[in-house]
Amino acid sequence: MSGRGAAAGSRSRPTDAIVALVRLGATVLGRTGGAVLTLVALASLVFLALRVLPGDPAALVLGEQASEADRALLRGKLGLDRSLGAQYLSFLLGLARLDLGDSLARPGTSAFAEVGRALGPTAALAGLAVALGALLGIVAAVACVGPWLGARREWLHRAVLVVAATPLLSFAPLATYVLAVRLRVVPLPGDPESGAGGLCFAAGLLSLPLAAQVARIGRAALLDLGHAKFLDVAAAKGGSPWRVWVVHALPAASAPISVVIAAQLGALLGGAVVLERLFERPGLGTLMLSAYASRDIPVLEASVVAAGLLFVAVQALAIFIHAAIDPRGREG
Amino acid sequence: MSVDPRARRRRNRAISSMLPAAALALVTTLIAALSERSPSRLTLDLAWAPPSASRPFGSGDAGVDLFALVSHATVRALALAAVVSLVGFLVGTPLGAAAGIFRGRFERWTLRACDLVQSFPTFLLALAVLSAVKTPSRLHIGLVFCVTAWAPFARVAAAQARVLSESQFVEAARALGLGGVAIVLVHVIPNLLGPVSVQIGTSAAGVVLGETALGFVGLGPPDGVSLGSLIEQGTLAMLRAPHVLTVGAVAVILVSGTLQLASEGVRRWVHVE
Repeated sequence: MSGRGAAAGSRSRPTDAIVALVRLGATVLGRTGGAVLTLVALASLVFLALRVLPGDPAALVLGEQASEADRALLRGKLGLDRSLGAQYLSFLLGLARLDLGDSLARPGTSAFAEVGRALGPTAALAGLAVALGALLGIVAAVACVGPWLGARREWLHRAVLVVAATPLLSFAPLATYVLAVRLRVVPLPGDPESGAGGLCFAAGLLSLPLAAQVARIGRAALLDLGHAKFLDVAAAKGGSPWRVWVVHALPAASAPISVVIAAQLGALLGGAVVLERLFERPGLGTLMLSAYASRDIPVLEASVVAAGLLFVAVQALAIFIHAAIDPRGREG
Repeated sequence: MSVDPRARRRRNRAISSMLPAAALALVTTLIAALSERSPSRLTLDLAWAPPSASRPFGSGDAGVDLFALVSHATVRALALAAVVSLVGFLVGTPLGAAAGIFRGRFERWTLRACDLVQSFPTFLLALAVLSAVKTPSRLHIGLVFCVTAWAPFARVAAAQARVLSESQFVEAARALGLGGVAIVLVHVIPNLLGPVSVQIGTSAAGVVLGETALGFVGLGPPDGVSLGSLIEQGTLAMLRAPHVLTVGAVAVILVSGTLQLASEGVRRWVHVE
């Protein structure tokens, strides 16, 4: 009995680490498999929607008045005259090689090159907004539970709830009107000459609802810890409220907070269409809409797949972070 | 039914937080049904005119009456939200309940399907589906939302049914020889309606915002009677006619806000029971 215990004790450290690592790896692999499945499903859906549903894509691209010869030429170029299975196979192969053919609107540039060019502005806006929102949200969450604000904490919490419930689509244009048009304290975000100022204003507006979500979840997570023993110990040892909440409590609550931040980043990238239309800025969403309007099939496919990839990748990243920080999230 | 005054007060508060949504639905339906104002009649010389006595909300693009546009668009958004969340409820609840009771492979596949559907970017799905039809109609938009609407209901129902499947009355029903389907229909579903119904308001608010977003980027219904197209009009004419944007933005805040409030009310109600 004691021998077994001693043997288990002597081996426990390295094996535990290996088991933990293998489990983490399995979790990530499993989730990545799900993410790849989602992505293939989305890509196949785009493919099918543009080919199987009634309506001739060539007629959609060229318009009803185009001659039959022109349409046949375009169908040949897009490979629409081949069987559906062959088309699907070459679509999947093209997807794996990141080559879905040339843009119809701009012959000579490949669809994925167009997407790559549009990614920069989208990533800048979403990244800046999420960074600002995370910072603001964490500060607000700590302020909501710490003793600094006294009874005014409840007001802060209410403000957070109201901001979190306000739809961005109605709040952002109103704020743009008041601040950029009426008061002229910030540049119009859609103005190409607004540069960094416009980017910061747009990101700042976007970050408010993000910050509210992060603050809401963060406050709940911190309150859940509430009177955990280690916090009482830290306070009993004479730690300041700052030390108790920021140094001790915040890392313990980091799992739900990081998950909500990553989910928001994914939603921003997946919903780039609305954001860029809202602020009239270039990017992936604008590319997608213009490809939709001109039925530029290769670009439409490439941009939807790219946006889906970003969305799914960030979600998978969130699960990975959660699993890495919090062992409770590791099974399944 | 308890007679505890505190419970009664909480129930009254729950009911009163559902009232704004009901009032909004009633008022806009009455206006849309009884008023002679039309959201499609154009009066070109009134284009972008500010609010006046005859047109309390002013006029929009090509002289459309914003009062009529807002009330019709709100009714349609609410109707779409109601239909989609009802379909999601009717499909997702039995599916999730069955998954929680039968367990095994069926539950795994149902939850896997929920994962897949919920990790789908709804907006890209809508774009893909709507790009295939020449003129996206309200029916297509509703279909897109229905594809994903069932998943949250199924997830909540499955979680509840797992708990219920270990309860004594389900065990008693099994011992009496009832089949799985009968247990799900007669014993499980009625007992998980409370927690699942909280999801209805949340789903409805999500559908309203989703429809607004689609209309905003020009993927809305072709007749332009949607809150999203109204906000788009307002954003484009921000300098010329700020009242259009204000009307649209306030309408969206009201609709989604009252729906969220109502779902909060349902949550309180369920906790009282």
